Amino acid sequence: MYNFDITRPTTVDEAVAALSADEAQPLSGGQTLIPTLKQRLAMPSVLVSLTAIDEMKGITEGPGTLKVGGGTTHGDVAQATKGSFAGLHTLASKIGDPAVRARGTIGGSVANNDPAACYPSACMACAATIHTNTRDIAADDFFQGMFTTALDEGEIVTAVTLKVPEKSSYQKFEQPASRFPLVGVFVAKHADGVRVGVTGASNNGVFRWAEAEEALSSNFSPDAIEGLSVSAEDLMGDLHGSPEYRAHLIKVMTKRGVADAS
Amino acid sequence: MTGEFSEKVDIEVTVNGEPVEARVPAGRHLVDFLRLDLGLTGAHASCEHGVCGACTLRVDGEAVRGCLMLAAQADGADVWTIEGLTDQGACTDLQRAFVARNALQCGFCTPGMIVAANDLLNRGGIPTRAQIREHLSGNYCRCTGYEAIVDAVESVARARAQDGKGARAGEGAA
Amino acid sequence: MSVGKPLPHDAAHLHVTGAARYVDDIPAPANALSLAFGLSHVAAGTITAMDLSAVRAAPGVVAVLTAEDLPFDNDVSPSNHDEPLLATGEVHYMGQPVFMVVADSHLNARKAARLGRVEIDPRGPILSIESAMEADSRFEDGPRIWTKGDVGQALQDAPRRLQGRIEMGGQEHFYLEGHAALALPQEGGDMVVHSSTQHPTEIQHKVAEALGVPMNAVRVEVRRMGGGFGGKESQGNALAVACAVAARATGRPCRMRYDRDDDMVITGKRHDFRIDYDVGYDDTGRVLAVDFTQMTRCGWAMDLSLPVADRAMLHADNAYLLDAVRITSHRLKTNTQSATAYRGFGGPQGVLGIERVMDEVAHALGMDAADVRRRNYYRAMGDVAGGPAPRPADSPRSFPTEMKEGDIASRGSQAFDDDRAEVGVASENTTPYGMKVADFILHEMTDALLERCDYFARRDAIAQWNAENGLLKRGIAFSPVKFGISFTLTHLNQAGALVHVYQDGSVHMNHGGTEMGQGLFQKVAQVAASRFGIGVDRVKITATDTGKVPNTSATAASSGSDLNGMAVQAACDTIRDRIAACLAELHQCSAEDVRFADGRVRVGGEDMSFTRAVQTAYENRVSLSATGFYKTPDLAWDRIKGQGRPFFYFAQGAAVTEVVIDTLTGENRILRTDILHDAGASLNPGLDIGQVEGGYVQGAGWLTTEELVWDDKGRLTTHAPSTYKIPACSDRPGVFNVDLWDQPNPAQTVYRSKAVGEPPFMLGISAHLALSDACAACGPAYPDLQAPATAEEVLRAVTRARG
Repeated sequence: MYNFDITRPTTVDEAVAALSADEAQPLSGGQTLIPTLKQRLAMPSVLVSLTAIDEMKGITEGPGTLKVGGGTTHGDVAQATKGSFAGLHTLASKIGDPAVRARGTIGGSVANNDPAACYPSACMACAATIHTNTRDIAADDFFQGMFTTALDEGEIVTAVTLKVPEKSSYQKFEQPASRFPLVGVFVAKHADGVRVGVTGASNNGVFRWAEAEEALSSNFSPDAIEGLSVSAEDLMGDLHGSPEYRAHLIKVMTKRGVADAS
Repeated sequence: MTGEFSEKVDIEVTVNGEPVEARVPAGRHLVDFLRLDLGLTGAHASCEHGVCGACTLRVDGEAVRGCLMLAAQADGADVWTIEGLTDQGACTDLQRAFVARNALQCGFCTPGMIVAANDLLNRGGIPTRAQIREHLSGNYCRCTGYEAIVDAVESVARARAQDGKGARAGEGAA
Repeated sequence: MSVGKPLPHDAAHLHVTGAARYVDDIPAPANALSLAFGLSHVAAGTITAMDLSAVRAAPGVVAVLTAEDLPFDNDVSPSNHDEPLLATGEVHYMGQPVFMVVADSHLNARKAARLGRVEIDPRGPILSIESAMEADSRFEDGPRIWTKGDVGQALQDAPRRLQGRIEMGGQEHFYLEGHAALALPQEGGDMVVHSSTQHPTEIQHKVAEALGVPMNAVRVEVRRMGGGFGGKESQGNALAVACAVAARATGRPCRMRYDRDDDMVITGKRHDFRIDYDVGYDDTGRVLAVDFTQMTRCGWAMDLSLPVADRAMLHADNAYLLDAVRITSHRLKTNTQSATAYRGFGGPQGVLGIERVMDEVAHALGMDAADVRRRNYYRAMGDVAGGPAPRPADSPRSFPTEMKEGDIASRGSQAFDDDRAEVGVASENTTPYGMKVADFILHEMTDALLERCDYFARRDAIAQWNAENGLLKRGIAFSPVKFGISFTLTHLNQAGALVHVYQDGSVHMNHGGTEMGQGLFQKVAQVAASRFGIGVDRVKITATDTGKVPNTSATAASSGSDLNGMAVQAACDTIRDRIAACLAELHQCSAEDVRFADGRVRVGGEDMSFTRAVQTAYENRVSLSATGFYKTPDLAWDRIKGQGRPFFYFAQGAAVTEVVIDTLTGENRILRTDILHDAGASLNPGLDIGQVEGGYVQGAGWLTTEELVWDDKGRLTTHAPSTYKIPACSDRPGVFNVDLWDQPNPAQTVYRSKAVGEPPFMLGISAHLALSDACAACGPAYPDLQAPATAEEVLRAVTRARG
C-alpha cells in the first residue's frame, strides 16, 4: 500500500550513499517501522534495509565495555549477555516476544528513540557511546527528546558501546498490550558511581534520575531513595497510566532494581 | 535513484524448500506475499501489528512475524510456512498433540501457534510450563484459555526429550 | 455410542496443518475485486460536502459508491432499520462508513479510501451516560422497569442497608479472524455469499433487501469462522451487503475484509454498564431487598441492544432468591459504535451487579463471602414443590394481524404481545420475572467445589500470609453462575436440519448452526452417528448453507447444540425409522425390534452392516433423505411486563480464583483457578472443558486488562492490539483445574446435555472478586474496585481500602 522503493546495501558505505536520496529512510529490523508505515505515519520514498550489512552485526567485549553492532538483534544481545551483564540481559530478553526479538535491532531502537523504547535507558545508565558512520556521540548528548536524536539526515547508528557496570538491573513495568514499558528503569552501579536511566515515562523521552543517582552512589540500597519523590510534571499521561501513576512507578521500579542488583 | 523508483523489487527466496523468484511491490508484507502470490493461506493475517502471532513464520531458522517483515526483506532468505513444515514432518508430533488435547477451537491462531511452539522445542531440552507460557506470550488465542496449548507443548517436549530427537526435528525444516 | 466421547474438534487436523479455509482463504476468480469503506472522522454531524475525485482517480479503483448509488435498501440493521450501510446526510459515530471503494486489490481499496474528502459540520457528540441521560437520548420510550415484591417497603424495613455503584467497561470481541465476506454473482441476478457470520439467514435477508430480490435469489454459505463470540451475529451485515451490491454493480466477484483497526473502529462491542444498587439486608447476610438501576451505552443504532439490556435484567438475580427487587434499565443512545452481542449478551453485566452486592454485604458484615452467597441461593431442585412451570397453552390467544416488518429472524426483532406469558408465572422460588427455578443445583456444586479446592483452609492460610506480608497481598473469591438458556425472543427457539444417507452408508449432515470454534459441528455429528449407531467418521459435516436449511436462527445464546442437535436427531430418526420399517417388514418383525449399534443393524435373528441395511432400504425404494425440525417447548415471555418463562432451563457453574497483587504498583496475577461447571450430560466433555476454560479466561480478561477508552471527541483510542490487551498465554492462571458436573439435565434436551457457550464466561467474575478481596486485605474500608481492574485501578482500590 506504500509507494516506495527498497534497497538492500551490504556495506555501511553503500547504505550511506543510498540514504542520500530524497526522503530515504533506514529500515532495520522493521519491528517498529513496518507497523508505522501501515498507519502511514511515515512516508519514505526509499527504504534502505540495513539487515544485510554484516559489519554492523555482532558483539565484542572490550576492557570494561561491550560493543554491540547496530544490526544486532535483541535475541542475540540476550544470548550474549546471559550471566555476564544482568541488566542488559533482562532488557533484551523482555522486549516483545521471541519473534520480535529475532528481528528487532539495538540500532533501530536507539535511532528511533521511541519514548517507550527499552534500550535508551540502558545507554543512559551505562554511559554508552553511540557510534555512527561519521562520529561517536555520548548517550547523554544523543537522546534529545521524544523520537529526536543527535543523528543527522542520512547518518546511521553502526554500533553502541556500553560501559559494563559492576551490578545492574532493568525493571520494566509493562503496558500490558504493547509490552513496551509504561515505566522502565535501568539501574547501573559503576566503580565511579550509580546511574539510573528512566524510559517510558517522560514527555521528553529517556532521562537520568539525578537525585536517585546521587543518593545511591553513597548508599546502594533501596532505603537510600526512600525519601525521594519524582515530580509528575512533564511525565506522560495516557490511557495506560496517569503522570502521577508513572511518577509513583519510577520510584518503585528503581527500588526494585537496586534490590535486584544488590 | 531519486524520483524514479520502481516500487517493485525482484526477490529470490526459498519457500518451503522450493526456490521462488518473484517481482513484488516494495511495500508488500511477507505474509501477504505468501497468501496472495503463492496461495499459502496457512499463515493468517489477523492483527497486522505484530502483536497476535497468527502470521508467525520460520525465516532463516527463527520464528518471525509475517506482518512485520516485507517480502523484499526476505530476499535470499529461507522461509517456511505451516504447509511446508507439515510436508516435511517437522512438527507432526506437535500437530498430533494439539489435536489430541483440544489445543484449538476456531483454529485461526493454530498455525502460528505451532510454528512458535516448534521454535521453542527446536531449542532442545524440556522447557518449564512458565517458559512455554512466556515463549507463546506473543501468540494470542481468544478461544481456548491456553491451558490445553501449554499441555500439548509440554507433552511433546517430554516425548522428544525421551526419544532424543529434539535436535533432529529442528534440522528437518531448517 | 459416540455421544459423550471427548472426540477432537472435527476440523482439528485441518487447523494444525493450515489447511482449514476461512472466508479470506477461499480462492476467488482472478477478476475478483476488493472493497474498503471510507469512514467518518467525526462522531456526530452533518455531511456538507463530499469530494471523492481523488478516490476515483487512485490506482486500481473500479468504482466508488455513496448512499445515493445504492439500488435498493440502504440498511444493515438487524432490528430497527436505523443503520444505513453508508451514511445519509448525518453521521452518528467516528468510524461510520460513508462511502465504499471497489478496487482491484485490498491494499488499493484501502489506500484509495483514505483519499476521500468528506466535510462534516460537527455537533457536540453524546458520549457519556450523563450526557445521554441529560439529553434523554435513549432507545424505547423510557426505562424498562421490572419489580417483584414491595421494594421500597422492604428496603425501609431492612435492619441494614448499603448503597453503591459499579462501572464495568465494554469489551472488544477480538476474534482472531476479522470480519470478511465474498460475494459471487450468479446467472439471472442471483448471488452467492460467503460470510464470516453467526447468522447466515440474517445475511441472506439483508443482501436480498439490498439487491431488491427475494430471499430465494441469495444463498449464503458459512463453513467456519475464526471466532465469533457474538461479534458476528449482526456486524457482518455491512460487509456482505457491500460485497453483494458491488458485485451486482460490477458483475464481478467482490470480497472485503476489515483490517484490525477498521474492525475495532467500525464494529460494535460489548455494552458497558453502570449499575447502582440500594440493598437492604440482615445480620445473617440475607439480602432482603435490592433496587438496581442499570444504565448502558448502546451506541448510535439499536442493533440488539434491547434484548441485551433485557438479559442484563434477567440475570440481575444470578443465583439468588430475591423476595423484593426492582430493576430499572436505561438503554442510552450515544455517538459511539453500536454495541452488540457478546458472549453472555448482557448476562455478565447483570450478574456482576448482584455479585458485587454479595461482596459488599459480606465485607460490611465481616462474613465469608461464599457463606453469604450460599445463604441467598435459590432453593435446591429437590426442595421445590411441584414440577417445572406449567406448560403454556399450545398456541397464542392473539395473533399478529399484520406482516412483520424486517428482521423476524433477528434477536433485534420486536416480539408480538404474548399473552400466554402469565400462564407460566409461578409463586415460589421464583426469579424477579416470575419464573420458578426448578432445577437449581448450585448447593451441591458449591459444596463439592469448595471442598475440592480446599477453600476454607486456603482462605485462612491467605489471611495468615497477608498478615505477614506488607508488599504483596493475596485474595481468594468464589462466584457462581446460573444462566438462562433460550433466546428471549421465543420464536427464535427453532432449528432445522437436513440429513442424507447415501447407498454406501455414508451420511451427509447439515443444519442451521454455524461453527466458530466451539465444536458445534462435532457435537451434532456425534448425535447423528449415535442415532444411526455408526462411527462419527461416517458422518460428513458440511458448511452451513441457507440453500439447504432455511430460516435459521443465529448461532447464539449458547443454543447451538441444543437446537441443532435436536433437529439433526429428528432428521436422523426419520430416516432410521424408515429403514427399520422396511427391514421389519422384510423380516416379519416389529420395527421397534430393529437395533442400530456399533455399525451393525440387527433385525429378527439377522445381523447386517449398516451399509447393507441402507442398501436394502434403497433397493426397496425407501427415501434416505429427511429434514428435521425442533422447537423448544414450554416458553412464554412478555418482555414489557417482565413476566413469564423465557428460559427452558438454567445452566450453572461455580469458580474459585486466587490472586496476588503488588500493593506498590497494582500489578496482579491469577495464581489458581478451580471450576466446576454444569454441562448436563456432556455431549463431548473434551470440547465442553475447552469452552469452560476459554470462557473463564475471556471473562477474566473483560474485568482486568481489557479496557476500551474513547477520547472527548468520541474517538476510540484503543483501536489496535498494541493498546487493547486481551489475555495472553502468560496471563492465564498458573494452576487451572476444570471439572464438569456431568449430571443429566432434568429438562428434555438432546441427550440431556446443557448449553455451554456463554455460562462459563461469568465464572471470570471470581477473578475480579478475588482482586477485590486482595485489596480489602490492605485496610478496613471497602475497596470499591471498578472494572476493568487494571493495575492503576487496583492501586486506587488499595488506597481506598486503607481509608
